[in-house]
Amino acid sequence: MASRFSGALQLTDLDDFITPSQECIKPVKIEKGKSKTGAKIKIGEDGYFDISNGREQKLKKVEITLADCLACSGCITSAESVLVTRQSQEELLRVFNERKYTDNNGITKNVNLIVISLSPQPILSLAARYSLSPEETTNKLTGYFKQLGADLVLDITIAEDLSLLEAQQEFIERYQNQQNDPSSKFLPMLASSCPGWVCYAEKTHGSFILPYISSTKSPQQIMGSLVKQYLSELRHFTPAEIYHVTVMPCYDKKLEASREDFYSEVMDCHDVDCVITAIELEQMLESSGKSLGEMCEAQLDWPWGESEVVASVPGVPGVPGVAGVPGVRRHAGSGSGGAAHHVFLHAAAQLFGHSDAPLTYKNLRNPDFREVTLEQDGKEVLKFAIVNGFRNIQNLVQKLKRGKSPYHYVEVMACPSGCLNGGAQIRPMGSESGRELVQKLHSLYEGLELAKPGHSRLARRLYAEWLHGRHSDKARALLHTSYHALEKSDIALNIKW
Amino acid sequence: MAKLELLQSLTGHKGIAWNVSWHPSGKIFASCGEDKTIRLWTKEGHEWAIKTVLVDGHQRTIREVAWSPCGNLLASASFDATTAIWDKKNGQFECNATLEGHENEVKSVAWSPSGNLLATCGRDKSVWVWEVAGEDEYECESVLNAHNQDVKKVVWHPILDVLASASYDNTVKLYKEEKIDNDWSCVATLQSHESTVWSLAFDKTGERLATCSDDKTVKIWKEYKQNNPEGVILNDRESVWKCVCTLSGYHSRCIYDIAWCHKTGLIATACGDDIIRIFKESEDSDPNAPIFELACTKLESHPVDVNCVAWNPTGNQELLSCSDNGEIRIWKFIE
Repeated sequence: MASRFSGALQLTDLDDFITPSQECIKPVKIEKGKSKTGAKIKIGEDGYFDISNGREQKLKKVEITLADCLACSGCITSAESVLVTRQSQEELLRVFNERKYTDNNGITKNVNLIVISLSPQPILSLAARYSLSPEETTNKLTGYFKQLGADLVLDITIAEDLSLLEAQQEFIERYQNQQNDPSSKFLPMLASSCPGWVCYAEKTHGSFILPYISSTKSPQQIMGSLVKQYLSELRHFTPAEIYHVTVMPCYDKKLEASREDFYSEVMDCHDVDCVITAIELEQMLESSGKSLGEMCEAQLDWPWGESEVVASVPGVPGVPGVAGVPGVRRHAGSGSGGAAHHVFLHAAAQLFGHSDAPLTYKNLRNPDFREVTLEQDGKEVLKFAIVNGFRNIQNLVQKLKRGKSPYHYVEVMACPSGCLNGGAQIRPMGSESGRELVQKLHSLYEGLELAKPGHSRLARRLYAEWLHGRHSDKARALLHTSYHALEKSDIALNIKW
Repeated sequence: MAKLELLQSLTGHKGIAWNVSWHPSGKIFASCGEDKTIRLWTKEGHEWAIKTVLVDGHQRTIREVAWSPCGNLLASASFDATTAIWDKKNGQFECNATLEGHENEVKSVAWSPSGNLLATCGRDKSVWVWEVAGEDEYECESVLNAHNQDVKKVVWHPILDVLASASYDNTVKLYKEEKIDNDWSCVATLQSHESTVWSLAFDKTGERLATCSDDKTVKIWKEYKQNNPEGVILNDRESVWKCVCTLSGYHSRCIYDIAWCHKTGLIATACGDDIIRIFKESEDSDPNAPIFELACTKLESHPVDVNCVAWNPTGNQELLSCSDNGEIRIWKFIE
């Protein structure tokens, strides 16, 4: 079976087995009594027993969680089943049935609200798989989740909008800081929404690359903050009573959700409790013996207060309603959320006074390495790139290391063709090639209604009411994160010739 | 009776000598090893002698060296996770480019027949294809994760841009470029060995492949192309490779290396039993079930493991070998 993690993660050994040379080094705490001799351990059929004290005492099994693996530079692998027990479809169904979940500390908690957040790429994957329109797919999937027991099914457009708005602002700040101190490491700003890329950078290039990576949280994690910290207040629940599931195009998102950075001691929970992918949804439907087409349709929920379907905003044409109605939306630019596109247009306008600057992408060595530039007086003043896939990440990293990167901003995604081709999107069927399927998803994406972050009334309201303004400490705390280099330990004993 | 005559023994490497590589002219060769040096040897009169020692290119063991087809560049693969490219534009050999990207030990490096591509592989289970993008510029073309264990060796087809790799997962894989998006993919998996495949060598046509393994056998594989007269059915228009011959019972330990001379057709093997063996194909050999006969067994060719064997590319029957004790030996095969 092909791995559902991205290529970048497979290379950092975060894949599905422990190789003989790289064993798990998670330390296990053993409660020891005082004994003069060494321990005696008996291997029974049902486990290992310590028999040093004259009586049999069953030894604990080691449990490895995703968080252990992310924090480790040892093997970082295990069977997928071990790694993702808390992030599996079985676990999801169990939570639906029991309305209880067990957290990382082994404490069982009651669930009072189950929230599902849908991202556009897996919707399109399912649409292609079941030959439905994206809208039908959204409604039928909403119906399916409701039937399973979900209380709210939401689209993550608002989180994508906030993520893009924050990235635009962060870029302006970094650009200005770099102008003030040309020897600093503010630019190029590298996108941070792909956890495969971020994890690879942390594990292999550590402190060299991390300063360049945007501190803006990914849409998934912003949605996490919104649901656990804003929606919980609206609905009068504690964050830990809400079980938050996101629907995503790749397994790497499970790792992202499990990061310690996205766990709050105070709230006593993660921002996202479970990530489920298109390929797992296909399996869930298959094992229930139903096709998505047979599901009853239901409408997405809009829990954000006042409906925003307004006639028009004076002086701003084309705005009404767009961001105020629930629905799966696209953002202009790449199929991965359009970060380069949005940051480029904002920077061109804010820094160089070009409104509606033309974006003409130029392919470099292959279609997964593209550049776009803004020229002023015959001089390139902004140079952006979209870099997808591990081979191109390599070339980008080498350019940076040699001081030969000409870029101000790079949208980096670990999967070739970006998120529409995420590692856990449904595989092509029959004679269709992977390339043809991605092409189909691209045209479906282009057909979605366009979201415009700058015109989102909800975003404006959230900044005003929830975040205390665009540049506030609260916005900084809730919409940004940080990264951590992992030191590598290479033990000579592990070397295999 | 055919024999291998020892022409000369060369010492200089401290610790294990891992690999030797002939310059395309057959008048120079390079060696490398545990001592982190690359040594260049040339013939002066009738004797081979050390010409240059390249140091400071790597921080750990150098596992393999490879001359480019033009003979101007030398690549070295090291356990320090890098591959260095050496040239002598400025009069003497210098390292002018370093390929970084492998997570840990690089085990093998090979130039494509055109010299435009380079392949590397290693302990991180991946195979990388690099393109020469300009003077001292190399760009990553592809990272292939087809193997699920340590990859021991990469070798290019002698004519086409087809790459082969051998792994600790007991398989050999072949790769080709997809022209639409310039990315590479695995087009064939050769399964039959029962343990690590340590090395492999194409014959001069590239239509046959010899592999050697820790399972103490040598296997010969034949390519069946589209519309082959034998009627072998293809998957998805890609050639099928079948094992047409297994040489078992000859080697008593792991076989570390294999060399197939493109001029004479002779196959040499380097074995953990300290023996070098030479195999010759029978003249009336059936292409679908070829027969290879043991032409020569050189007992105690080295006092310890033989790590590498290499035929002189000019076809003059000279064979190089190197061993765990740091020694390099030059042999002449005499029929």
